[in-house]
Amino acid sequence: MTSQPSVELAPQQITLEGISPRILAGLRIVGAAALVIGCALGVAWPDGIPLFFRAYLTSFCYVLGMVLGSLLLVLLLHVSRAGWGVVVRRLAEVLAGHVPLMVILFLPIVLPLLWGSSSLYEWADRHAVEHDELLRHKAPYLNPVFFTIRAAGYFLVWWLVARFFLETSAEQDSTGDPRLTNRMERASGPAILLLGLTVTFASFDWLMSLDARWTSTIYGVYYYSGAFVGAVALWILLAMGLQASGRLKEVITVEHYHDLGKLLFAAVVFWAYIAFSQYLLIWYANIPEETTWYRDRQTGAWLYVSLALVVGHLVLPFFGLLSREAKRNKAILGFWAAWLLVFHWIDVSWLAMPGLKREGSPWGPIDLCLTVSLVCFYLASVLRRAVERPLVPLRDPRLAESLAFENF
Amino acid sequence: MIEPSTSSTNGLEEPATVIAGLVAEFRTPDALKAAATKVRDAGYRLWDAHSPFPIHGMERAMGIRPTILPWLVFCAGLTGAAAALLLQWWTNTIDYPFLVSGKPFFSLPANIPIIFELMVLLSAFAAFGGVLVLNLLPEYRHPAFSVKRFARVTSDGFFISIAASDPKFDLSATRALLESAGAVAVDVCYAPAEAPRLPGVLKWGLVVAALLALIPPLWIARQRQIPSDVPRLHIIQDMDFQPRYQAQGVGRFFADRRATRPPVPHSMAVGGRQLDAHFYQGQIDGQWATTFPIPVDRETMERGRERYNIYCAPCHGLAGEGDGMTHQRAVARREPGWVQPRSLHVSNVREQPVGRLFHTITHGLNTMSGYAAQIPVADRWAIVLYVRALQRSQNAVLDDVPTALRPALLQEPTKP
Repeated sequence: MTSQPSVELAPQQITLEGISPRILAGLRIVGAAALVIGCALGVAWPDGIPLFFRAYLTSFCYVLGMVLGSLLLVLLLHVSRAGWGVVVRRLAEVLAGHVPLMVILFLPIVLPLLWGSSSLYEWADRHAVEHDELLRHKAPYLNPVFFTIRAAGYFLVWWLVARFFLETSAEQDSTGDPRLTNRMERASGPAILLLGLTVTFASFDWLMSLDARWTSTIYGVYYYSGAFVGAVALWILLAMGLQASGRLKEVITVEHYHDLGKLLFAAVVFWAYIAFSQYLLIWYANIPEETTWYRDRQTGAWLYVSLALVVGHLVLPFFGLLSREAKRNKAILGFWAAWLLVFHWIDVSWLAMPGLKREGSPWGPIDLCLTVSLVCFYLASVLRRAVERPLVPLRDPRLAESLAFENF
Repeated sequence: MIEPSTSSTNGLEEPATVIAGLVAEFRTPDALKAAATKVRDAGYRLWDAHSPFPIHGMERAMGIRPTILPWLVFCAGLTGAAAALLLQWWTNTIDYPFLVSGKPFFSLPANIPIIFELMVLLSAFAAFGGVLVLNLLPEYRHPAFSVKRFARVTSDGFFISIAASDPKFDLSATRALLESAGAVAVDVCYAPAEAPRLPGVLKWGLVVAALLALIPPLWIARQRQIPSDVPRLHIIQDMDFQPRYQAQGVGRFFADRRATRPPVPHSMAVGGRQLDAHFYQGQIDGQWATTFPIPVDRETMERGRERYNIYCAPCHGLAGEGDGMTHQRAVARREPGWVQPRSLHVSNVREQPVGRLFHTITHGLNTMSGYAAQIPVADRWAIVLYVRALQRSQNAVLDDVPTALRPALLQEPTKP
């Protein structure tokens, strides 16, 4: 067994134990209140029920992207044996371990479906399926029962993967066994494969099947690349928030922010690459059954949302994050992280809403309420988990390397 | 500063050398960093630090300004993007406009992959070349290598070299500075007084080879320009010459040495043998058929109406008056030389036998082209049946109306 590097970190620096329980309670109260208001608006609004479900799905997929994107970040740090990222890995773990919460939040989507409601998915409407040959052909796959079984499968995989990596990392905190690092590295490759497959099919099921006649094989990567942007942005903001509260002061340096900034930049470019790959083929082939999806997103206010995505999700952050100085400046990096969190929400909404809401303003108070609600629930869950363990994997064999990390 | 060259000991004249600078060795990376700080503060400019591995903070210790390489890469990337955009815009809109699937000649989405690729390519070139140039590479022989101990720079030696060409260089003062900075050894390094030259044979050999290499492309260019009675030299084949047999020619593969293969016995042409003249040609014993070879019922009639409305109505009109959309548009546009499609209710069409109508649909008449390729045989007959019904509808007599409906018809007030 190798000798452990002697790393001395002040205890109040690396735990969240002192946090006031009021913050946690406040988040939950705000979340519950927003949810109640959202429900009330959904009932009161003209044709508000389908709107409510779409908005809920948007918020759900937004938060789910944070969870799964953070889980992918943990796996990427392991699979690349990243020395630099050890000091921030626990923060990604804290953001990732919320699969049970996501199961609970998924219930409002799956229970009405099993009940026979087709407010969200047209393929759940027996009458529509009977009269549409394409939907009839897809019915063996797109039906409430199989949909639920698949969803259970996805959640099971995510729960197992998250549990293994989070628990093993926590175990190392107490035992300090460096072999645990090796075990996580070995498992990370297959876990990324599993995660990629399940997220792809989950996005097919939950988002793409909103337009049940339309398909795109790159859709899963599109959703996940956007979620990755959101997860990295949230990761950066969490690190900055903890430092602003006086924690991790000596632990996370400008060098780590520089690397996080590189990741954010790469994620933005990758998202754009995937988004354009999907658009180019459909634009070029110009086949009616494929272009309908983009037609929904190029009519009415959605045209301006699409253009805003091009500018706000690619052009501005691309040039804003290009320079080394920007990535090493906490204010600039934090600004772009917050900016991209907003635009990732617009991106998810752009996936979910247009087929239903063709006219008028793209969003309304229902969207706002539900997003605030689900994000509050998620943040409360994040804080609750962050209190349980040190904010840094204290006995990771590469911790000393990570603390001394420097970019050239 | 020219040192006297070492005298020849074995009859060979060694080349004259000059002092190129000083090379100082240090024990540790930290000592090297501290010494670099001193040299920097002493105001030297033409000097360098050498170590087996990168040392964090060295660039600050040496006072190296941030590199301009990112800007070079940025500009090269923008150049690549702009060049790709310009190339595609010019070739697609100006030089050779070519319509591709109805898109505008200049359509940005189609250009983005090329823009992206050229941007990445030129950025990579700029990064690769820029690193070499900014590091003053390639350098065949650094004068420091004339100091024997300097060889350890790739294993465990840490060195600072100061060039004699630096304005602040002074042999004794610089040596004193390096020693005070903690050097364990300071050596003078030498460089040849004259820059080494390429041997004459090699130089002229390269020139001759370059000239010779020009001959083939020039000859090919000439051959492609001048008129000639022999086939041109094909450098790029473009599949112009393919091994193949000529039709009806001689082949070597089959025993009968025929290149074209005769049909296999009992094989049948596409469409089958059209033995039934009534069905396929609309004729019975050489005369136009007056009866239908398919069942005449409501189903056939509905089929005929549907097919008629698809294939015939655009010209002949839904009621067969010869006033379809095509005609109306041609009239509205005053198309010169437009001939109105035939009305199906004129007497000579009404008097034609059904076989003749079938023949017209199959092979066309005057400006109407044949519809054999679009409409299957049975459907053509169904259309004929529907045409007959249309003709009857426009030229009906009272006897055609069922007796039960006649009173209602007769009571209808007639308009003045």
